[in-house]
Amino acid sequence: MEVNTRAGDDHQTGAQGCLRLCLRTTRRAPFMFCDRDEKGIPQFASVVSCRRKQPCQMSTKEKLISHVMKEEPVASANKVTVVGVGMVGMACAISVLLKDLCDELALVDVMEDKLKGEIMDLQHGSLFLKTHKIVADKDYSVTANSKLVVVTAGARQQEGESRLNLVQRNVNIFKFIIPNIVKHSPNCIILVVSNPVDILTYVAWKLSGFPRHRVIGSGTNLDSARFRHLMGEKLNIHPSSCHGWIIGEHGDSSVPVWSGVNVAGVSLQGLNPQMGTEGDSENWKAVHKEVVDGAYEVIRLKGYTSWAIGMSVANLVESILKNLHKVHPVSTLVQGMHGVKDEVFLSVPSVLGNSGLTDVIHMTLKPDEEKQLMSSADTLWGVQKELVL
Amino acid sequence: MSSVLQKLITPLASSPAEPPRNKVTVVGVGQVGMACAISILLRDLCDELALVDVMEDRLKGEMMDLQHGSLFLKTSKIVADKDYVVTANSRLVVVTAGVRQQEGESRLNLVQRNVNVFKVIIPQIVKYSPNCTLIVVSNPVDVLTYVTWKLSGLPKHRVIGSGTNLDSARFRYLMSERLGIHASSFNGWVLGEHGDTSVPVWSGANVAGVNFQSLNPDIGTDGDKEQWAATHKAVVDSAYEVIKLKGYTNWAIGLSVADLIESIVKNMSRVHPVSTMVKAAVVVADSLESEVGEMPDKERMWRKWLWNHNLVATSWDCGKGLLPFPGLHHHPGPQVGAEHQLHHQEGSAEVVLPEAARNLTCQRR
Repeated sequence: MEVNTRAGDDHQTGAQGCLRLCLRTTRRAPFMFCDRDEKGIPQFASVVSCRRKQPCQMSTKEKLISHVMKEEPVASANKVTVVGVGMVGMACAISVLLKDLCDELALVDVMEDKLKGEIMDLQHGSLFLKTHKIVADKDYSVTANSKLVVVTAGARQQEGESRLNLVQRNVNIFKFIIPNIVKHSPNCIILVVSNPVDILTYVAWKLSGFPRHRVIGSGTNLDSARFRHLMGEKLNIHPSSCHGWIIGEHGDSSVPVWSGVNVAGVSLQGLNPQMGTEGDSENWKAVHKEVVDGAYEVIRLKGYTSWAIGMSVANLVESILKNLHKVHPVSTLVQGMHGVKDEVFLSVPSVLGNSGLTDVIHMTLKPDEEKQLMSSADTLWGVQKELVL
Repeated sequence: MSSVLQKLITPLASSPAEPPRNKVTVVGVGQVGMACAISILLRDLCDELALVDVMEDRLKGEMMDLQHGSLFLKTSKIVADKDYVVTANSRLVVVTAGVRQQEGESRLNLVQRNVNVFKVIIPQIVKYSPNCTLIVVSNPVDVLTYVTWKLSGLPKHRVIGSGTNLDSARFRYLMSERLGIHASSFNGWVLGEHGDTSVPVWSGANVAGVNFQSLNPDIGTDGDKEQWAATHKAVVDSAYEVIKLKGYTNWAIGLSVADLIESIVKNMSRVHPVSTMVKAAVVVADSLESEVGEMPDKERMWRKWLWNHNLVATSWDCGKGLLPFPGLHHHPGPQVGAEHQLHHQEGSAEVVLPEAARNLTCQRR
């Protein structure tokens, strides 16, 4: 018994491959006929008989797979964009991929060859990853509908150069990047990594026009991680069990809050009241100095830092995308806190979730710690007000 | 006045520190070595990581950079030194050291340069970790795995080359892109030499058990209208392509090595296409002989047999009259380790290797 084809269909089954497929799907005698729906997709369920006159025209893919969804596919739910594919950007990318944090990753840069090379290299590892869509382009349209955009683009600190020297160079780069990001992902959260991060987070906030909870600087998340690592080495405990917060400016004038340093809630300053002062026989102040110098040291030895900042960023991305409400020391608007009067971004312990940076923890700071924060704020404002935005 | 440490912590056991159970060493802290290191760390595969290199500043910088991230990791000890003593008691040693492929340079040209480097590295590794498993990544990987095996004196099942694990991953990615599915849902194996003459085994390519060759009997041949063979060509060319664009490849090989290490450290008994000792050549020749009687040119018949069975994609012309196999004694079979203890042809490998590397000419099929 034969079933007529729909109008416009001139396809006739009959070549060996189709024959085998027909036999396998229906186990009937070889004279099979594929019905087709309005889109021309073969309906194997309706195979009845066939007229073998010409070789089968179906591609291997069509023989293998039937597309059954009529609507457009749903857009990615957790898309992350990384702007800048230098060492820091790629370290962030690989850390985010290895932690299975996003279902789509987009990379953007101005250097097209390097960008294409990096995207191919990551895609070749797709078998080992759980991020199916990895895309890249010079054009920002590839970043559309991102939940989170990590900005690592910008000039790199040279050996011995302070972060503040990079400012104007990076502001000019941001004037191009930020509007492009906002245009394609108007509801995203921007995470700024480029240095000097506190100033550039302010710049990104101004240029984007976003509310303050959606512009975050990676801040002293990394400094605190370095501090906890060094503390862990000193005490022979894993860093995750050593608690210590470094706040304020990411860089030379960051503030270690000694009163909060503890293991299992036991305040170390309670055990050693000299901690952090010049008179401290254990010289804990040197630990903080090592944190500040750490970046310069690594830059001197290998030319740049990448792995630590990449892991730190992935840590923040995880809290945001998984809506963890974890507390991280990240750079946010501190105007009105700790005596700061200007529109300045500094790192304070903040709650991160999928809305962004929703809450800030009030730290009880000693007078000299507050003074340090205020003087950092003054320095940063001194630089910020000279900027041409 | 007792220190913070003493006031805070009361030790319960005064025994010396336990040795590491899953220590991994990475030799070479170039782009490939560091990509392997970060993949291993982010997959929580080892309890101690050691890095070794000759460039001391870079080595120290990389170690510090990784240590600064230790809050986010579950590997408590990351060490590095120029001296191989830091690698002691490793369970696995990943060798990425060596000179990098230049743009347009074929992998075989790297051989002699890398052999000299390995003569320094391998004995040191084995001295401090006599029970380790070696994974060789440096190119040309098949030849250098052989070299490592000879220099280390380790049994064959403990010297593995990363081989076509990466080529297969690339193949599965590129094929699955054409089909719109995830790479892990497309099953396909690329065997043979890691590089120009790798062999895609089309007869095994399948999705959900549906065999591609039965859907398209021409697949992989020149007569194939859909040109699926172009996908395999893209696999071969992809390394050169990425090198041309960004100067080197690292992320994919790093992920591939971490995948192998995961199988080994977690004792998963997974099947990977890696570079291992293949003595099947001799068995084939023997069976050929028994089938067809005495043959004047055993090697040529053996090659033809493999050709007919689609096990090689190139014909090699090795004027030495010895086993004319790409990578010589290293044709990867689809098994990890050497459970296949086949009859070994003594002696030929040493003679064959350096000379064959010079004399090999290969023609693409």
